[in-house]
Amino acid sequence: MKKSLLLVTILLAAVACSADEVALGANAPEFSLVNAADGKTVAMKPADGNLKVVVFTCNGCPYAKAFEPRIIEIAKRFQPKGVQFYAVNPNDDAKYDVETFANMKARAAEKEYPFPYLKDGDSKVAHAYGARVTPHVFVVDGKGVVRYRGYVDDSAKPEDRKTTGLTDALNSLLNGREIANSDTRAFGCTIKWKS
Amino acid sequence: MRKCARFAATFLSVSVLALSAQAADLRSLKEPAKIAGVFPRAAQLRLVNVWAMWCVPCVAEMPDLRAIDDAFGAEVAMAGVSLDDMLPDASPKPVVKFLDQHKIAFPNVYYTGNPDALGDYLKFNGEIPITIVYDGAGKELWRHQGRIDRNQTIARLRELLRRKR
Repeated sequence: MKKSLLLVTILLAAVACSADEVALGANAPEFSLVNAADGKTVAMKPADGNLKVVVFTCNGCPYAKAFEPRIIEIAKRFQPKGVQFYAVNPNDDAKYDVETFANMKARAAEKEYPFPYLKDGDSKVAHAYGARVTPHVFVVDGKGVVRYRGYVDDSAKPEDRKTTGLTDALNSLLNGREIANSDTRAFGCTIKWKS
Repeated sequence: MRKCARFAATFLSVSVLALSAQAADLRSLKEPAKIAGVFPRAAQLRLVNVWAMWCVPCVAEMPDLRAIDDAFGAEVAMAGVSLDDMLPDASPKPVVKFLDQHKIAFPNVYYTGNPDALGDYLKFNGEIPITIVYDGAGKELWRHQGRIDRNQTIARLRELLRRKR
């Protein structure tokens, strides 16, 4: 009985501590979510041979919105090179009306997203990746291994930009080089978790 | 009639002066290391709160920060660090207006430097709000990530002050 209690406690502690970012070199969590743009389910298979970008973003956060054109620009530049992009919205839409499926669909259409805009309704995918803020980026290689995590760029202002984390990571991986800075600090709005 | 006009003009100018006296203490800073200079030397505890107007929990806790500031005298000094400049086309004006609306008396920094440099300096992961308490010599005593609880924070500061006596 005591052992069972101890096991349950350890499991609960593991769940409670799941907010840590998924480790570099770890296998990326697989997910299947509905695309708000067209209502179709999109399955992300980590080890499908393609380089992938998973970006946690949303409709309401001004900092995420400031990066939106940049993410679209990077996607348009790297998609022809075989990189797949997944935008995932983990925010609670019961408390924040701006994050509803309908509003996500409207935003994807208005901004002409070149990637699926996926509803992570119960924030499970965000928890699995250990995303903390929007925008928060993870790059997964063709074998399903997490190779980069953190920011898109170190500044939302092009004139203040010193490092381009996501772009550098993708260029390095596409050219078979080590990523110079694979672990960066994602600034942004706290994810509005469903309580 | 002229007397009335003169009285009105005097009243108006006094009112304008009174209003401008209420303007928030917002100082633009680019180097994170200069944030420490915002505090008076005599304070036993120094509380730094990193926030932005675009951050929902940061805005929500502003009345709590004001209450915490009101709860202490010179022994606790507070300073905010606004990250509003991280957004393109930002300016300090709306931040001053916001601070005035919330009647914030403690100084605030309008941080214009690199966000990553601030993260390195304050040793936090980029998620705001974050509240950090230091002693007078700059040694970190406590930190809280996310929205603070007003009463718990006051109790924690009182406990830290007790320990220093």
